[in-house]
Amino acid sequence: MLYNYLKITIRNLRKYKAFTLINIAGLAIGVACCMLILLFVVYELAYDKWNPNADRIFRPVTEIQFGGSHFDLAVTGSPIGPDMKQQFPEVEAYCRFRQYGSYLVKREGEDQQNIREEDALTVDSSFFQVFPVQVLEGDPRTCLTQPKSLAISKSRAIKYFGALQMAIGQTLILDNKENWVVRAVYEDLPPTTHFKADLLLSMNGNEEVLNDTPLWASSNNFQTYILIRDGVNLKDFEKKFLAFSKEKVNETARRIFGQDISMLESTGQYVRYSLQPLTVIHLFSDKTAELQPNGSIQHVWIFSAIALFVLLIACINFMNLTTARSAHRAREIGVRKVLGSPRTALIRQFLGESIILATIAVGLAVCIAALVMPWFADITVRPITMPWGQPFFWLALVAGIAIVGFLAGIYPAFFLSSFSPIHTLKGQSEGKRGGGRLRSVLVVFQFATSIALIIATAVVYNQLNYIQQKKLGFQKDQVLILEDAYALGDAISAFKHEALQHPAVETATISGYLPVPSNRSDQTFSKVRAFREDQSVNMQRWVTDPDYIKTLGLEIVSGRYFDPERFPSDSSAVVINETAAALFGFSEPLGSKIYSPKGRIKGDQVPDDFEEHTVIGVVKDFHFSSLRDHIGPLSFWLGDSRSYISIRYKAAETQPLLASLENSWKRLAPGQPFAYRFMDDAFSKVYISEQRIGKIAGIFALLSVLVSCLGLFGLAIYTAERRTKEIGIRKVLGATTTGIVRLLSAEFLKLVLIALVLATPLAWLFMDRWLENFAYRIEVGWWVFVLAGIIALLVAFMTVGLQSIRAALSNPVKALRNE
Amino acid sequence: MIKTTNLSKVYRTEEVETTALNDVDLEIKEGEFVSVMGPSGCGKSTLLNVLGMIDSPSGGTYHFLGEEVGSLSERKRSNVRKHNLGFVFQSFNLIDELTVFENIELPMLYTKVPNSERKARVEELLEGMNIMHRRNHFPQQLSGGQQQRVAVARAIVNRPKLILADEPTGNLDSANGDEVMKILSQLNSEGTTILMVTHSQYCAEFGNRIIRMLDGQVVTENLVKQYL
Repeated sequence: MLYNYLKITIRNLRKYKAFTLINIAGLAIGVACCMLILLFVVYELAYDKWNPNADRIFRPVTEIQFGGSHFDLAVTGSPIGPDMKQQFPEVEAYCRFRQYGSYLVKREGEDQQNIREEDALTVDSSFFQVFPVQVLEGDPRTCLTQPKSLAISKSRAIKYFGALQMAIGQTLILDNKENWVVRAVYEDLPPTTHFKADLLLSMNGNEEVLNDTPLWASSNNFQTYILIRDGVNLKDFEKKFLAFSKEKVNETARRIFGQDISMLESTGQYVRYSLQPLTVIHLFSDKTAELQPNGSIQHVWIFSAIALFVLLIACINFMNLTTARSAHRAREIGVRKVLGSPRTALIRQFLGESIILATIAVGLAVCIAALVMPWFADITVRPITMPWGQPFFWLALVAGIAIVGFLAGIYPAFFLSSFSPIHTLKGQSEGKRGGGRLRSVLVVFQFATSIALIIATAVVYNQLNYIQQKKLGFQKDQVLILEDAYALGDAISAFKHEALQHPAVETATISGYLPVPSNRSDQTFSKVRAFREDQSVNMQRWVTDPDYIKTLGLEIVSGRYFDPERFPSDSSAVVINETAAALFGFSEPLGSKIYSPKGRIKGDQVPDDFEEHTVIGVVKDFHFSSLRDHIGPLSFWLGDSRSYISIRYKAAETQPLLASLENSWKRLAPGQPFAYRFMDDAFSKVYISEQRIGKIAGIFALLSVLVSCLGLFGLAIYTAERRTKEIGIRKVLGATTTGIVRLLSAEFLKLVLIALVLATPLAWLFMDRWLENFAYRIEVGWWVFVLAGIIALLVAFMTVGLQSIRAALSNPVKALRNE
Repeated sequence: MIKTTNLSKVYRTEEVETTALNDVDLEIKEGEFVSVMGPSGCGKSTLLNVLGMIDSPSGGTYHFLGEEVGSLSERKRSNVRKHNLGFVFQSFNLIDELTVFENIELPMLYTKVPNSERKARVEELLEGMNIMHRRNHFPQQLSGGQQQRVAVARAIVNRPKLILADEPTGNLDSANGDEVMKILSQLNSEGTTILMVTHSQYCAEFGNRIIRMLDGQVVTENLVKQYL
């Protein structure tokens, strides 16, 4: 019997080629989308799971509300790890990370070139205990115990030394001055790790740790990972940790402010700690000072929902076309029933057919997915590949065939098997009788989804456009940022001077702090000579040279920026932004004094001497962080910060300018890499995840419209076929071609209009929520919905219209003779 | 073989109630060839459908081979049907996507006849019906007469006790019609019971009893031999 079913299925597929093509193409596109997105989701969910300790590792994180600023930090102070190890027997080990940015790295010896290494971490010697990546050379337990020892990844060992064995005992020079000895080589970290590390530097001897205060929450620069012993009750441990952290914060409050934390909390200020499981970091954590930009569970959900919708749309095509052309199968159903086939056997037969179709579609989908995978990996920024060698992939394919076959086939199977043999065997088509209303509902669903995706795409692009066009308060265009300017050493001023001689250069500034991703540093300042929580503002502290404001195109609202002529008096001066002035509550900011502690908190000694700073200028607020956030308080200080040289230059002179700058650089800093980026590019990169969402929403919107139209096209063919007699009669009675086209098209266009009405409020609600991620955002305009409606109607009309015109132009005599 | 008492069938739509069969009492014995005649809409086909168990009666009783089958579930009825009944239709109702051989073989797939026996039985019938040369053709490649011979072959391949034929010659020219009637007579003479609905007096007379229906009721029953 199975063979009989198979034969009849294949013969039917071959006989009705258009139907087969539409169904298989639609399903294949839907399944390919699903496959790609599932692979992405599986990849995202796999983060850090390679670590056998994953379930026992937690990261203490900090939330601070203080001095008008809110901080949600992935970092803590350095004492937290050792304190926890000492306090809790449940703690097996801790490992702290300190990220100091990039290093210029070279081998010892003459003529060695510096290589810029982005992914270097200073870590405790317990690194390989907490993150047991395989150590290929050296001893994982001792390799990081000594000062100036480092471990390097396999790829870096090959890069610097040619072979793993050659690396051990060799010296690498960091930033042209520090000699570090390679003590171990480890397997490259799996890409599904929430941090990257090609160089692991020993924390032993780290000055920052040695000088750090034992007080919690007073400085936060270390990512800390705690490994809990096996079998520990996590809830109990978390409770104990929270109580302990409260005690520690209270100690800090008493020491610095001379009062209990409860007093601070009564003014709405607080410091809170919590433990974040390692396995949630990648998808659920978006804190300040993450080691790498993390993924987003929101994106995983959005992508999954879109994939599911495209697949549903394709399944609906199958349902609609199968039920619409049921007249072709009616006789077979009648005969089988008369010959003794029970309804369940027919259901099995039709489900089997849809599963055969699904198998072909899934096979095709695998080919499509494999073809577009490189491009998909590119837009998702994940090194995803087709998992040919993994059994779960093949199992998932089988499951996919069953699910798609069932999803697409179940309704038609019940619908077709319900046909009465009495009618079908008399040639009375049952296809005309039922399913019409449901088909309409399904078409409405398809188009509602497509329209919602069109609206979503339009909104995302609109918001991105708004971000690009928004007056940011600084001029991001025509600014070149030269990286690692510290590599110029003493020649940095000479380089800046030479750069300024170039006719294309307007102005240049040396500073590590820029309104695009760069250094950040914050400090608490007070209006009085004391630590007073009600007089303090925590603000960004940016060290710049006097040319900063000109180069970035910032606007001074009152007062002035730093003047080299007035040095050294300007060395204690400060320029603040409007938000800082408002938070301090200055009615006349110019000439106002603010205070900062002289020196750092050393040990548990809080400095009692304060430095006085005079406000000499106020800068108009500008967006120095993402438009997702409100503008915070910011201060500028005159000083030496050498991470970048930013150069404002005239348009259309980029290439010769770059060549000239590179020449100067190579002459003044031989052997140092010349790297640059453009400020507008750096700005765009902040919104890369939104750009990705926009791109994906756009592509899937296009696909869903395409698949919906395939279905609509199929339905239009069958409607025209079903109404051949009616069209003939109407034409004989005098109907015009336009009238017939209108008649046939209106049926479908009505459904698209209903879909528009349904999709509009849902899409608006969803996108409005998405826009809430931005502090600065667009309002969703009515034109977006009109646009989506026009696109959907136009595409639907083009799809249906063609068939309607063909039907309307057919010879009525032929149609009636056939009857 | 068949015994109905007060058999009725009523079709109900939202506004109209149509009585297709009205208290039909009928008895057919094994080996009989019964023809049912009457004007269009008199209930002949409905009677055939109810007796063929592809429709259920609204009232009365229907005994088939001594068993009450009127109230059986769809699954049980289809089980009785596939083992005991064969159907021949006016419009042949062959499956376009199956070849002649496969169409004839189909009923045996439902009764789980082994493959080798299926092949033998189909070939025997193809030979008997003189359509062996058409075994791999599809129905639309055959003439009307050939199609009806395939349909008859399909109806008898499971060796049913009863053949129900609904105007089997309605779509055929007289020569082909004659051919089909001769086959049915032959089957009857070999012991198969036949119930045939027809408009044609000529065809009806191939049977040994004629039942005339009007407005859902059996109005007369005559033995064909009396006319001859």
